[in-house]
Amino acid sequence: MINTLKDIWTVFSIEVRRVFGDRMVLLIFFLAPILYPFIFCYIYHNENVENMAVAVVDEAQCDESKRFIHKLDATPELSVAYRCNNMGEARQLMEDHYVRSIFYFPSDFSSRLAKMQTARVVVFSDMSSFYFYKAALTGGNAVLIDEMHTIELERYERAGLTDEEARIQMQPVVMENTTLFNPTGGYGSFFLPCLMMLVIHQTLFLGICILTGDARENRKSLHLIPPHLRRGSVHRVTMGRSLCYLLIYVPICILDLWFIPRWFNLPQLGNLYTILIFLLPFVLAVIFFGMTVGNLFVRQKISPMLCFVFFSLVLFFVTGMVWPQESMPRFWYHFSYLFPSTPGVQGFVKISSMGAPLSEVRAEYMALWFQAALYFVTATLVLSIQTFIRRRQNILTHNLRRVRQEGVAAIADSPLKFSRNRSSVDNNHK
Amino acid sequence: MKTSILRVLKRELRRIWRNPRYIIILTLGIVFTFVFFASMTKEGQPKRLSVAVVDMDGSYLSRRICHEINATQGVSVKAVYNNHSEARKAMQRGDIFAFYEIPQGTYNDLLQFRSPHFVLYVNSAYMLAGTLSYKQLATMGMLATGAVQREVYRKKGYKDDEIMGLIQPVEYDTRTIGNPWINYGNYLMTTLIPAVIAFIVLMHSAYVISRERQERTLKNWLRRAGGNTLYALIGKMLPYNIWYIFLCLLANLIMFGFMGFPLEGSWLLMVLNSILLVFAAQCAGCFIAGSIPDPPLAMGVSAIYSAMSFSLSGFSFPVESMPTFFYSFSWLYPIRHYFLNFSDIAIFGNGFGHCWPRFCALLAFGLLLLMGAFMMQWQQNREERLSVQSSKSDAL
Repeated sequence: MINTLKDIWTVFSIEVRRVFGDRMVLLIFFLAPILYPFIFCYIYHNENVENMAVAVVDEAQCDESKRFIHKLDATPELSVAYRCNNMGEARQLMEDHYVRSIFYFPSDFSSRLAKMQTARVVVFSDMSSFYFYKAALTGGNAVLIDEMHTIELERYERAGLTDEEARIQMQPVVMENTTLFNPTGGYGSFFLPCLMMLVIHQTLFLGICILTGDARENRKSLHLIPPHLRRGSVHRVTMGRSLCYLLIYVPICILDLWFIPRWFNLPQLGNLYTILIFLLPFVLAVIFFGMTVGNLFVRQKISPMLCFVFFSLVLFFVTGMVWPQESMPRFWYHFSYLFPSTPGVQGFVKISSMGAPLSEVRAEYMALWFQAALYFVTATLVLSIQTFIRRRQNILTHNLRRVRQEGVAAIADSPLKFSRNRSSVDNNHK
Repeated sequence: MKTSILRVLKRELRRIWRNPRYIIILTLGIVFTFVFFASMTKEGQPKRLSVAVVDMDGSYLSRRICHEINATQGVSVKAVYNNHSEARKAMQRGDIFAFYEIPQGTYNDLLQFRSPHFVLYVNSAYMLAGTLSYKQLATMGMLATGAVQREVYRKKGYKDDEIMGLIQPVEYDTRTIGNPWINYGNYLMTTLIPAVIAFIVLMHSAYVISRERQERTLKNWLRRAGGNTLYALIGKMLPYNIWYIFLCLLANLIMFGFMGFPLEGSWLLMVLNSILLVFAAQCAGCFIAGSIPDPPLAMGVSAIYSAMSFSLSGFSFPVESMPTFFYSFSWLYPIRHYFLNFSDIAIFGNGFGHCWPRFCALLAFGLLLLMGAFMMQWQQNREERLSVQSSKSDAL
């Protein structure tokens, strides 16, 4: 037991020195997870598209169309920047990107209204970004509903109905909308909590891969395995290293997931205690996942940057925050649970943005613990297999060299003994 | 000049031949991303979103509303709850994205002309699912109100075509330019795939240069180019340039050709756009790796710089609505210019007259290549000077 703790402490202290002695790792571990949340919070501070420039083409020139246009201009989403005489002009403005949307009132607008037929307004929308479309739709719909009520009310008044009667005729059922958890429907409130989790996931993962690659490249004795460790106790290395990353990432997590959302007024209903309890398996799962991938694939210090960073985009999409999990093809749904980011982001958003207690995110929480356990085993297993192969190779090459130099007798008292395989090594070369 | 570039090119091809690992991995990465987005957004919009109904009335009417919601294309009623808190908990678990609450006594209120209130709760922490289920349910609600009104008018003796004009005096006829089906695949892939390619091109350019420094083969490389860093960079980048341009064009061909995404303008401009995107991304990579002599630091800086390219391309949240600083900052990203050109060419069918400023901007990234070459030359000269000094001091 004491030996185990001693080994963990040794590995831990070596790892801390390596983290703080490496500029690239410092950049990834400290600069990125502190800088990005600030930058992105600032970028998405405006939440929604406001006062988007639109053009109107009013061929009807009647009271109703003028009132409609005034109301469009009064919405927070839209601002009537140009009033054009014909569609050609408006089209030109849209092609030159001066306006993102056109509201066209055909000449029969007023006559259709007078004849009690449905009058039509044609809306053209630039689809290069869906946010232009959304702004046109939100602003436009609010005006449409309001205008419909005004017209109907006028008609009922003319027909001699009182206010209350008219209201009931118009609206036999009143529809109320309540937007929960993201009241403005803003992009920032939706995107930033996912982004913070992904930033933590990706920086931690990359940093670990880089450190592994660094150890490989510089041939620092078998990824920091103290020489006296045998195959059965490789888990001490995994534990020592993970302790180091865990201690570094706890304050970063608190900053990114607790303080920054407060400073930038993002929706935050969860409490710190729940968040921390939830984050523990998340950080552990990411650490062990990073160590597994690092031990398996990474051979160079700088290659993880090249091969893994662009994958963040795919990770973001499989979390199910954009494309709902149940609408995903089944394959991608199962694929997404290979990564701790999926249950991590889902659970964190539920706790932080929707105020769910830990019991409501039980599925994600269990998934994270399961991942943490699984990746701990794989990380240790991969390392111990690699250690075994490497040690065997070392002994083989060492003995071969000595046999060449001094003859067969030299290895009989070889200082490098590998208890189980010694006889086989000897047999091979006799 | 030609011979020195050719010499470097030959050397680079040999290096790729000897170790093709990364170019294969990255090509597979691009293919993977493409297949991923194509299969994910195959349906155009997420279908069968889970919603619920809180039925406190339990009448004929409320049950009919459930059926009608279920019959709506985009949503399906996953559960019917008896009270608000159950539904809210289901929403917190992420089981449902929206729910209708039908209060007690709705049917009676309706019969007695006391307008009952329906409340629609939407979870907009999930952007797309929330917005879509809101849209579907709100439309459904409007139709339901309309149906009640229609019954009233019918009993008063109006004809059906008159009733439509009475119930809905004004309506919108929406034309979505460039994406008539409001297809998310079309919207996401046309910008995201080139963005991923640009990202990988930049990182790979930075990587191959940094790798030369790490393996201490920089001198050898520069000697092949006759000591001219610009020729060295051009020769080295050429094979990657051709390969990634090929991939980018192939991706565009599949998207606009086989998958049928609309391309209003000319193919030629789109080809030019893709070529210039790859070129600009390479130049930016060369500049970063050329001017930062520490390989890991160079890779870190390029990753931190280019990880923001997806946001600052402005295709998801418009750059115009970001703070002014980032509006200007986005010009430093080739993908931003590519995206603006794309919207001109593919959506509005505009010609060269609209696109040329952005083509010039992408070409201007070539200056970064020159600067990168200059920085490398300067570092080399300094190193030589230092080594001469140290050998002199040794001699003394």
